[in-house]
Amino acid sequence: MLRLIALLASGICRINWLIGQVFSWLSLGIVLVCFTVVVQRYVFGVSFLWMQDLYIWLSGAMFTAVAGFALMRDDHVRVDIFYRPARIRTRALVDLFGTVLFLLPFTGVVLIYSLPFVRRSWSYAEGSANVGGMPGLYILKSFIIAFAALLALQGVALICRSVLVLAGRRDLVPAAIRYPETGADAEAAAIEGMH
Amino acid sequence: MDPVLIGEILAGLMFFGIIGFLLLGYPVAFTLAGVSLMFGAVGWFFGVFDPSNFGALPNRYIGFMTSEVLVAVPLFIFMGVMLERSRIAEQLLLTMGKLFGNLRGGLGISVILVGAMLAASTGVVGATVVTMGLISLPAMLRAGYDPKLSTGVICASGTLGQIVPPSTVLIFMGDMLSGINSQVQMAKGNYAPVPVSVGDLFAGALLPGFMLVGLYLAYTIFKAITDPESCPATPVPAEEKANLLREVFSALIPPLLLILAVLGSILGGIATPTEAASVGAVGAMVLAALRWRLSFTILRETVIATATITSMVFIVLLGASVFSVVFRLMGGDNLVHEFLSTLPGGRLMAVAMVMAIMFLLGFILDTFEIIFIVIPITAPVLLMMDVDPIWLGVLVGVNLQTSFLTPPFGFALFYLRGVAPPDLPTWAIYRGIIPFVGLQILAIALLFAFPGIVTWLPRLIAG
Amino acid sequence: APAIAQGNITWRMVTTWPKNFPGLGVGAQRLADRITAASGGRLTVQVYSAGELVPPLQSLDAVIDGTAEMSHGAAYYWQNKSPALSFFTGVPYGMTTGELTAWVRFMGGQEIWDEIYDQFGVQGFLSGNTGNQTGGWFRDELTSLESVKGLRFRTPGLGGQVWEKLGATVTNMAAGEIFQALQSGTLDAAEFVGPYNDLALGFHQVAKNYYMPSFVEPGLATELVVDKTKYQELPADLQAIIRDVSQAEYDQVSADFIANDPRALKTLVEDHGVQVRDFPADIMEAGAKASKEVLDGLLGSDDPLVKKTAESFVDSLKITRVRTERIDSKFQEARELYLDL
Ligand code: NA
Ligand code: NA
Repeated sequence: MLRLIALLASGICRINWLIGQVFSWLSLGIVLVCFTVVVQRYVFGVSFLWMQDLYIWLSGAMFTAVAGFALMRDDHVRVDIFYRPARIRTRALVDLFGTVLFLLPFTGVVLIYSLPFVRRSWSYAEGSANVGGMPGLYILKSFIIAFAALLALQGVALICRSVLVLAGRRDLVPAAIRYPETGADAEAAAIEGMH
Repeated sequence: MDPVLIGEILAGLMFFGIIGFLLLGYPVAFTLAGVSLMFGAVGWFFGVFDPSNFGALPNRYIGFMTSEVLVAVPLFIFMGVMLERSRIAEQLLLTMGKLFGNLRGGLGISVILVGAMLAASTGVVGATVVTMGLISLPAMLRAGYDPKLSTGVICASGTLGQIVPPSTVLIFMGDMLSGINSQVQMAKGNYAPVPVSVGDLFAGALLPGFMLVGLYLAYTIFKAITDPESCPATPVPAEEKANLLREVFSALIPPLLLILAVLGSILGGIATPTEAASVGAVGAMVLAALRWRLSFTILRETVIATATITSMVFIVLLGASVFSVVFRLMGGDNLVHEFLSTLPGGRLMAVAMVMAIMFLLGFILDTFEIIFIVIPITAPVLLMMDVDPIWLGVLVGVNLQTSFLTPPFGFALFYLRGVAPPDLPTWAIYRGIIPFVGLQILAIALLFAFPGIVTWLPRLIAG
Repeated sequence: APAIAQGNITWRMVTTWPKNFPGLGVGAQRLADRITAASGGRLTVQVYSAGELVPPLQSLDAVIDGTAEMSHGAAYYWQNKSPALSFFTGVPYGMTTGELTAWVRFMGGQEIWDEIYDQFGVQGFLSGNTGNQTGGWFRDELTSLESVKGLRFRTPGLGGQVWEKLGATVTNMAAGEIFQALQSGTLDAAEFVGPYNDLALGFHQVAKNYYMPSFVEPGLATELVVDKTKYQELPADLQAIIRDVSQAEYDQVSADFIANDPRALKTLVEDHGVQVRDFPADIMEAGAKASKEVLDGLLGSDDPLVKKTAESFVDSLKITRVRTERIDSKFQEARELYLDL
């Protein structure tokens, strides 16, 4: 059972890792498209509205798509006064609590309210609000769903991690999301060792 | 009980509830959103909150995802990360160090100058202080600098970049203040208001940024004169001296020109911050390529860092949106309005109160979280009381920087502690920062006494 | 619904305008207050101006999703939902204020509009009109059609397509961003509404050449959109209140602009040194040709509803323009020539 949980967690991490690797390159896309627009405008005196839309949309797609990857890497800022020095078991408890009470309800609410919003956009193939802008605004809007879904998935992986740690099998936690050891853990291990 | 009162009580409790839950250490963005959802549910139970209001979330999110102003954020982050990963920033620091090294205090001066230029193009306090700490601290200690002075200089100049433009913090602040300003001016019946833009905020922050740099430099020079032991000169070997001019031209001038060009084109009104940022990002790649450092690995590291930092910042914004929706619709706005507008002492007292709250929040939260939570709920009231939006934005920046530097909770101190050599005592970091906190307080007092330090340049540019 | 049984309902109105924005934001608030007053508080309308609840250009979505019950804005903001919606705000070289009112109220316009909005579960009412707008603020004087080439111009919607055909590089940006772009030189020219609003946006500080009239926006209507299901669940008198207050506000907003545009223009000219100019004739003429092309494109649309709207619009215009041109314009020309006050 625990092995199955570990397998699930590592599968999810793989998905978000892959998405992070791919969608991060959109940042280079933003730079290049925006720079092209600038050169066209200032050097050649022309501009295309769709290109303006494009680099803006790339940014929106990028930061939503990699949110789950960033959570996997633990890039999202924490107030770590108490969290960072705490024992791994304590951190696992906090993450279990937070994921169940904060992250999953949040992603759930975003999913519930964005599904009709996105579905409608697809139904009439919504394009940019700018005349002459990009087609396919519905694709960008779909990234709100991807954002919530990928975060929720990574949330499941965090729950798996907490369960593994609390069940005393932290060795099964996938390397990508393994907790760093702190002084408190060494102390705890020493105390456990004395028994 | 009166539903309005219930709503306001819940909104107030939510603010403190969030702070309590944040201390657990779960990521801020999701704690903000999750706790707000809980209070929304309680409000629903009492009939003071309608969950259909959450339909506003996808609408707000797509608004952020299609904002032309906010695209400047990933672009500036890309520029900053590229300069750092391709080690152009490090080279800049080393060259600057050699240039001033012959002087007592020279190394400190160069750390301050480079910090002001480069720092926080990412806008994330931790990241900048860590980078500065890793590069500069060992060099300063090796040169025989007093650890107290070294850590003070690094923390102060590592957080300075949030205020010295270009800064991602100012982009978000400018975006928010520009909308709030137009709302407030119309509401006041001012049909011909002066619009506020990100560019205006950059212009407003320039002189206060220089002023802080000046204060830090003055302090370092003062130390060099009164306490030469604390910051000895680091003589440059003769053979390096011979190459120094070449090094200045290759390592110092190009990034300096790039930064000046980006900033100049924004302040000079030639380009928007977004356009200038894209030129900066391409420029950083060109500089890296010229030094044969634009490898696939570095490019890959840069895009991943850019994407994850951008995501982290924007996700906080998305989480804070949940807070705003619940807080506003349960009547929290009225609560804040009543609180701030009935304070004795009027406008200045109201500003001081908001600054005090932000300062305290600065002990647990980073810049973005604080401004995303506090600015939308307090700035409308303050601007309604005729507070200048640009002055307010810059004051918030300097105030938060001070908070990050103030022991024992200042963020910057924790981050530097994390990368400082283990034998460097924590009290040295705390002691070292105290004079700089003093300078910050002096700067805040000057901004209060002479608001023109902020407002003069934007007005001059606007003509 | 339980709220109706108790007798008192609160509806949320989101707007695309800032609070108190001259003419438009003020009109939205007044409309809300009048519904509340006329219903004796049985239907209270709470206004959330641009950005307070949702970003301005998400207002219609907010109503469709049930985040708000009403939206106050302009139908052509939603041309990416259906290009036919542009007609209910105004199209280049299209109807004047009076002609648009006639088409929507008496010549089949409202019925087609309902058909379009039925797809989204909402209902639209005309709720205001800016009157004929001004052509825009230009940093440099326009001497002929040649001077339009490569001009970076902010103007949205179908008007933007027309200017593009004239050779301008057209962009759209939100009201709050225009000034900065004009100031920085990202734009050479911009148009918003007319003196009453433009004064508020500060364009005169940067561009001094003020061209009028607009030939792409001759009388733009604003709309009130309501959630259709919730609207139909209301008792008949409340439905009538919403409908009739909208109609009253349509006229009220028009009057506001007629009264205050000239006052604001006086301020612009006398206090800020603004130069009021006519577009060169070749621009006006090429503008008409381009407008015809844009209209022809809509008449030939694959989307039957777009085609139907365009046809109804053109048929009505053919009828109403006779009166406008034969009577109203002739009189206005004569008054300008002969009446000295
Ligand atoms: Na900076
Ligand atoms: Na217009």
